[in-house]
Amino acid sequence: MADAPPDFNPSGGPPQDLPDLFTPEETIKRNPIVTGLLALIPGAGHAFIGRSRQGAGYFGLTVVMGLLLYWAQVTTEFEVFPGLWIVLLVVAILFYVFTIFSAVSLAGDAEKFYPRIALILILSFTYLLGWQATEVNLQKFFTEFSDTFDTFSRILWPWNAAIDPIEDVLVVSTPFLAPCPDDPIASSMSELDNEFGAQITLEPGCGVMNEDRTEEPGTDLMLVGTGFVPNTEVVLWWEDPIGEDFRPNYDGETLSVVTDADGNFELAFEAPRYNTPGQAVGIQEHEAVIRQLIDITGYELSENFLLALNRLIITIFQALMATSFGIIFAFPISFLAARNLMWGSPLTRVIYYAVRFIMNVSRSIEPLIWAVIAVIWVGLSPFAGVIALTIHTIAALGKLYSESIESIDSGPIEAVTATGANGLQTIMYAIVPQIIPPYLSFTIYRWDINVRMSTILGFVGGGGIGQILSQWINQSLWSSAGIAVWMIAITVSVLDYASAELRKRFV
Amino acid sequence: MLVVENLSKVYDNGTAALKDVSFQVPDGAFLGVIGLSGSGKSTLLRCINRLIEPTSGRIIWDGVDITELRGEELRKVRRKIGMIFQQFNLVKRSTVMVNVLSGRLGYTNPIYALVNHFPKEDRDKALAALERVGLSDKKDNRADALSGGQQQRVGIARALMQEPTMILADEPVASLDPVLAHSILDQLEVLNREDGMTVLCSLHYLDLVQRYSTRVIGLRDGRLVYEGTREEIRNMTDEDFKDIYGQEAERITPGSIMG
Ligand SMILES: Nc1ncnc2c1ncn2[C@@H]1O[C@H](COP(=O)(O)OP(=O)(O)O)[C@@H](O)[C@H]1O
Ligand SMILES: [Mg+2]
Repeated sequence: MADAPPDFNPSGGPPQDLPDLFTPEETIKRNPIVTGLLALIPGAGHAFIGRSRQGAGYFGLTVVMGLLLYWAQVTTEFEVFPGLWIVLLVVAILFYVFTIFSAVSLAGDAEKFYPRIALILILSFTYLLGWQATEVNLQKFFTEFSDTFDTFSRILWPWNAAIDPIEDVLVVSTPFLAPCPDDPIASSMSELDNEFGAQITLEPGCGVMNEDRTEEPGTDLMLVGTGFVPNTEVVLWWEDPIGEDFRPNYDGETLSVVTDADGNFELAFEAPRYNTPGQAVGIQEHEAVIRQLIDITGYELSENFLLALNRLIITIFQALMATSFGIIFAFPISFLAARNLMWGSPLTRVIYYAVRFIMNVSRSIEPLIWAVIAVIWVGLSPFAGVIALTIHTIAALGKLYSESIESIDSGPIEAVTATGANGLQTIMYAIVPQIIPPYLSFTIYRWDINVRMSTILGFVGGGGIGQILSQWINQSLWSSAGIAVWMIAITVSVLDYASAELRKRFV
Repeated sequence: MLVVENLSKVYDNGTAALKDVSFQVPDGAFLGVIGLSGSGKSTLLRCINRLIEPTSGRIIWDGVDITELRGEELRKVRRKIGMIFQQFNLVKRSTVMVNVLSGRLGYTNPIYALVNHFPKEDRDKALAALERVGLSDKKDNRADALSGGQQQRVGIARALMQEPTMILADEPVASLDPVLAHSILDQLEVLNREDGMTVLCSLHYLDLVQRYSTRVIGLRDGRLVYEGTREEIRNMTDEDFKDIYGQEAERITPGSIMG
C-alpha cells in the first residue's frame, strides 16, 4: 500500500535470483551417454556432473511448468483456447529436451552452457499463460476507453457540484382539506402575502388523496395562479399535514408550467399520492404550493462539498490520533526491540525476539485487514480506522525507532555513565538527544502515511473521507466523488511537501 | 594511591584483553600507558571505573576495592574519576553547556533529569569550567559545530565538573594534530600539577610520553611488560621504546623532545 519506502521489502525478486541460479558451477567430466540417461529425470544429469544447484533449479522449473500446464487444462476460471494449450505444451517439452541437451553437452565439453535458451523458454511459457490467466483484452482496452470520458471528466472537474446557487423563490400556498367536511369547500384561495400580488386558487378546496388503501384516484384539481412573474416557470409542490414539502410525482414526472405574458397560469392535476398515517383522525389540512424562482442572489458551497470537507478533517484527525496512540506504545517498545540494549542477558534477548516477532507479524498484515477486523470490533466508525492505523503504526514506528536506537553512538553513553550518572540520567542525557531527531522525522513521515491510509480505510468502513467517497462512487455521484478525490489529492500533496520540509530540519 | 592487583579481562567472545596485570600509581602521578593498538590500554582504563567489568583481580583506590562496589556506591566512586576519550564522546546534538553540565549528573537528583534541570550553582560551575578551558564564548553552540581540539576541551570541562581526584584519559590526543595535542596535554598537566589530580593517560608518541609522564607502564598483548620512573623514561632511546611498543612507534618531530 501507500507506505513504500521504509517497510517495503521486495521479497527475493527474480533479478537477484536468476544470476545465482545460472552461476556456472565446477563441472566434473562424465560419460555423456550416462549423463543423458540420467537427465531423463530433469536436473539429475546436471547433479551427476557436479552442477547440483543448476540441476535443482531445472528440476523445480520443470515441475512448476508441469503443474501449471495441468492447471491450465483443468481450470474453468478462464478459457484457454486449444491452440494455446498446445503451444504451452510444446514450450514445456522444448524446455525438458533442453535440460537433457544441456546436461549432455556440458558432460562432454565444460565450456558450453546455454542459460539463455532456458530463459527464453521459461519467459514465453510464463507470459503466454499469464496473458490468458489475467484476461488481458487489448481490444476493449483501446476501443472502450471512451466509455470513461463522462465519468472521468466529472471527476477531473467536479467544481460545478461544489457550489449551489442561493435562490430567491416566491412561494404561494393554499389549503386543501382531505377528506371533505360535511360542508364541502368549493375552492380555496391563498392569502395575499407577497409584494408581487401573486395568488393561487384551488378548485375544489377539499377532496381525497390518492391513497393505497382506497385504491381510488385523488380528486381532480384545477389550480389557477395570477400575479406571478411573467414567462417564468412555476413548479408545483405539496405540503402534507405534518408540514413535509415534496414535489408530487405522476409516473415519474413532476409538474411545472411557464406563466403567460401577464404572469397567469393554469394547472390541472390529481390530488397527489399520500398515505394518511393510521393515527391521524378527522380532516387533515394539506397545502398546494407553487414555487417560482425569481432570482439567483448568490452562490454557496454545496452540501456535499461541506460534507467532504467535514470528512476530510475527520480523516486528518484519525491519522493524528492513530499516530499519537502509535507513539505512546512504540516509544517504550522500541527500547525492547533494540538489539544493542537487549543483547545483555538471555532474558532480555528472549524479550527482544518476542517483541520483534510480534511487530513483524502485525506489520505484515495490511491496515485494510486490520480495519475490517476493527469494524467488526467497534462498528462502522472513524474509530475503527484509528484502531487499524494504530496497530500498524505501532509496528512500523517500533521498528524504525528501534533501528534508530541501534544506530546511536555509544560513546556518549560511556561518557555519561563514567560521570556517575544513573540509568535514567544516562537515557535522558546520552540516548534521548540522539534519538529525538530521527524519532520526530519518522513520526512526521508516519502521520503523512497515515493520512493517505485512512482515506483508503474508509472504503471498508473505517470512517473519514474514504467512506463518503466510496458511498458516492456506489451512487455514481461522480462530481461529488471528484470533489473528495481532489480534496484527498490536495491534502496528501500538501502534507507530503510539509513533512519533507519538516523532516529536513531534523536530519 | 591506586593499586591494581592481578587484573584480568576476558571478553564474552573469548578475547583475553588483560592478563594478570598488577601495578601501583601514587597519588599525584601522571602515568603514561603505552602499548600497541589492541594491547589492552582501553580495557585497562575502563576497568578502573568499571565501564568494563573485570573478570578477576582487584582495583583498590584509597583503600576501597572498586571491583566490589555496586549501585550507588559505584556511582559515588565514578563521579570522583573523570574520563576523557579519543573520540571525545560528546553528545553531538546537545549544546556545549549541556555536555559540560552532564559531568555533574553524579551529584544531582536523578528526578531533575526528566525536566532537564540543573541547580544554579552547577550552571555557575559549568561556566567556570568552560572559562578554564577557554570556551566560554561557545557555550550555546552545538557540540558538533566545534573543532576536534575544542571538543576535547569540552571533554575536559565535563570531567572538571566531577571535581575529580583522578582522570582517565584514553588516547586523548590521538585524533588531534601535534600542536593541539600539546595544548590538551598541557591542560592535563596543569590539572595534575596544580590541582593534584592523578592522571592515567594512554599515549602513542614517545615524545609525549617523555614530556608529560612521571611514570610509565607498557602493555603488550594484555600483559604488563614495562614499568618505569620519570628518569628511566627520559633516558629511553627510540630502540628501548620500540622494544616495548612495537616497530610502528614514532615521534611527532623525530629527534626532538619538546618542552
Ligand atoms: N567489546 C569487546 N569485545 C571483544 N573483544 C574486545 C572488545 N573490546 C576490545 N576487545 C579486544 O580486546 C583487546 C584489547 O583491546 P583494547 O583494550 O581496545 O586495546 P587498545 O586500547 O590498547 O587498542 C583487542 O584484541 C580487542 O580486539
Ligand atoms: Mg584503545
